[in-house]
Amino acid sequence: MVPTASGPSIEFEGVWKKFQRGELHDSLRDLIPAMARRMMGRTPPKDQLSQGEFWAVRDVSFSVKPGEALGIIGPNGAGKSTILKLLTQILTPTRGRCMIHGRAGALIEVSAGFHPDLTGRENVFLQGAIMGMRSREIARRFDEIVAFAEIEQFIDTPVKRYSSGMNARLGFAIAAHIDPDVLVIDEVLAVGDVRFQTKAFDRIKEMCTSGIPVAIVSHQLDRIASLCTHALLLDRGSVVRRGTPTECIETYLHNEWSADPSGGSNLATTIESIEMEHPGEPVRSGHSARFLLRGSVNPSGDGPRTCAIRVREMNTGKSLFAIATSECGVELPEEGPFEVAIELQFNVPAGVVSVETSIWDRATHRDVARGPAATLQLVEGIRFAGSVHMQPLMQLVQPRVETGRSELANAVESRN
Amino acid sequence: MPAEPRRSIVGDLRTIAVNEIWRYRELLYQLTLRDIRIRYKQAVMGFGWAIFMPGLIVLAGTLVRFAMAYMGGSKVELSEIAGMAVKAIPWSFFVGALGFATASLTGNLQLVSKIYFPREVLPLSATLAQCFDTTIGTVTMAVALPFLGVHYGIALLWVPLLALLIFMFTAATALFISCANLFFRDVKYIVQVLLTFGIFFTPVFFEPRMFGQLGGRIMLLNPLAPLLEGLRLSIVHGHNLVTPLVTATGSGASFPVWNPWYLAYSAAWAVIGLVVSAIIFHRAEAVFAEYV
Repeated sequence: MVPTASGPSIEFEGVWKKFQRGELHDSLRDLIPAMARRMMGRTPPKDQLSQGEFWAVRDVSFSVKPGEALGIIGPNGAGKSTILKLLTQILTPTRGRCMIHGRAGALIEVSAGFHPDLTGRENVFLQGAIMGMRSREIARRFDEIVAFAEIEQFIDTPVKRYSSGMNARLGFAIAAHIDPDVLVIDEVLAVGDVRFQTKAFDRIKEMCTSGIPVAIVSHQLDRIASLCTHALLLDRGSVVRRGTPTECIETYLHNEWSADPSGGSNLATTIESIEMEHPGEPVRSGHSARFLLRGSVNPSGDGPRTCAIRVREMNTGKSLFAIATSECGVELPEEGPFEVAIELQFNVPAGVVSVETSIWDRATHRDVARGPAATLQLVEGIRFAGSVHMQPLMQLVQPRVETGRSELANAVESRN
Repeated sequence: MPAEPRRSIVGDLRTIAVNEIWRYRELLYQLTLRDIRIRYKQAVMGFGWAIFMPGLIVLAGTLVRFAMAYMGGSKVELSEIAGMAVKAIPWSFFVGALGFATASLTGNLQLVSKIYFPREVLPLSATLAQCFDTTIGTVTMAVALPFLGVHYGIALLWVPLLALLIFMFTAATALFISCANLFFRDVKYIVQVLLTFGIFFTPVFFEPRMFGQLGGRIMLLNPLAPLLEGLRLSIVHGHNLVTPLVTATGSGASFPVWNPWYLAYSAAWAVIGLVVSAIIFHRAEAVFAEYV
């Protein structure tokens, strides 16, 4: 953990990590057969898999240099948290090497060291020491920490009387004042109420942009997209894709949706792809983007001949808008390939959204099968608050001027 | 953490001492402080707890001695009670420290599986926290002993060394047992039973000479026995611990009850034990998070 000449960095070289399914022998009774097996030479070498074992991380390599922020995404069980635990030395790799050069600060389990009987003040010093801070440092930044956590009045109250929000805020505040050389963050972006979350996120952003190497694991894809310079997509322990956050998020969502062959094999309609006109290019909120949906109709198949698109906000997973081709007056051909051009105006706030496709049954109003999806990043365009831009028209109407109302009416009419 | 798998004992000891304990000394201090604080928070008796346990041991020992004296037709001397008081303090230190240290890793599950720090600090802070209680007990005893007819002499110079050896032996046991308990949860039950009955296998109520030549020798095989006896002889009897002591009590036959080699034997246990258990702990540490 000595800083090298090249500055602080994270290195992960060909790391493999093996875990055991089921229970490990936990009492002396199980130890004896296990030792007997070992003495008979029946156990395979340490870096091979034996019965009941699996690779939680397979051959993962990456490095994070100063000024870089790496986002690690992937479905549950992909090995994200294992990688962070390997990074923070809680686990040791079965094969390969992982190193952090410099003092690591981890925004992981930020209040794990709290003791319920101790006061907030005592816990700040304890948790700080657990995270590797010197008492002097903690004393120097104590007021800052307490002010950040907004619990000045309760700092001498035992932590057991804190609300869960106060607990989490204090934990985050301590971790956020470590001044590390390298930062590792695991899913702590949701702390406290909405206002504190924003404050915490701003603080993380500040730390990320201060030029230190950062590694983040999160399911909040839009946060990854806005914090990270690079990303890594993991699935079942292996790296599936590396690149910009948007690229990885797109692949992730694409894989997630297309991996669900729920619609049976003999459907009449298949959707091959949906592509943005300028893939990867951010779209300004309130502006339009064009997509091309490609598919084909097989006359011998069954099922509906209608496609649908659904726009989903990736942070919350909320469906923003969905419509079927038939509702837009598009009838798919009886046979053969087809292309549908789609233009959508994104009257929604900035963030990451995906455009998902599906085969839709008009009779039951249900999706029969899922198709591919496209992801795009909406950047701030027109400034507005809320969840939808309602195309407002505003006009200064002079009092006692008769034409004011009709002008507004004209303006609205001219739009249609 | 060095990536190369090659390990040497000296290298490991250096890593433990420099990278783990010294670098994390503030954590060790904070955890010790935590253990002391939570012991006295919401505890009505407060510091009374620190003298409660050794006091009870002396009381129980006095009862045993009275029964023995009654059956043997002799009297209980004040110096015998003083001797038990001297030995009750380190024994309750040993029992208390191990009681807290055994569960120190499994009781801090959240920490062990989520945050990195050298795990040695957990059993060590449990042991150090017990030192606080023991200090209070020692001060109380130091005030009380002159009333039991003890005259402090030059032999008291042995006390720091003996205390250090007891601490080292306790720390060694604490490291080993906390580590073993993490892998095998039955260890804590075994420890509980051993600590409950250990007082009968350690000369606290008794002195080894009461068991005759062979019995006394067997009793002194317990690494704690020579240390406790050393404390008793140097404090209560002002013995210099260098010259062997021969007793003529019992059935008339005389045999040695103290020999400086007993002390060397215990010192070897303390030093080698600490090195061995620190290395075992250090090497097992890497898989703690997986097994906890």
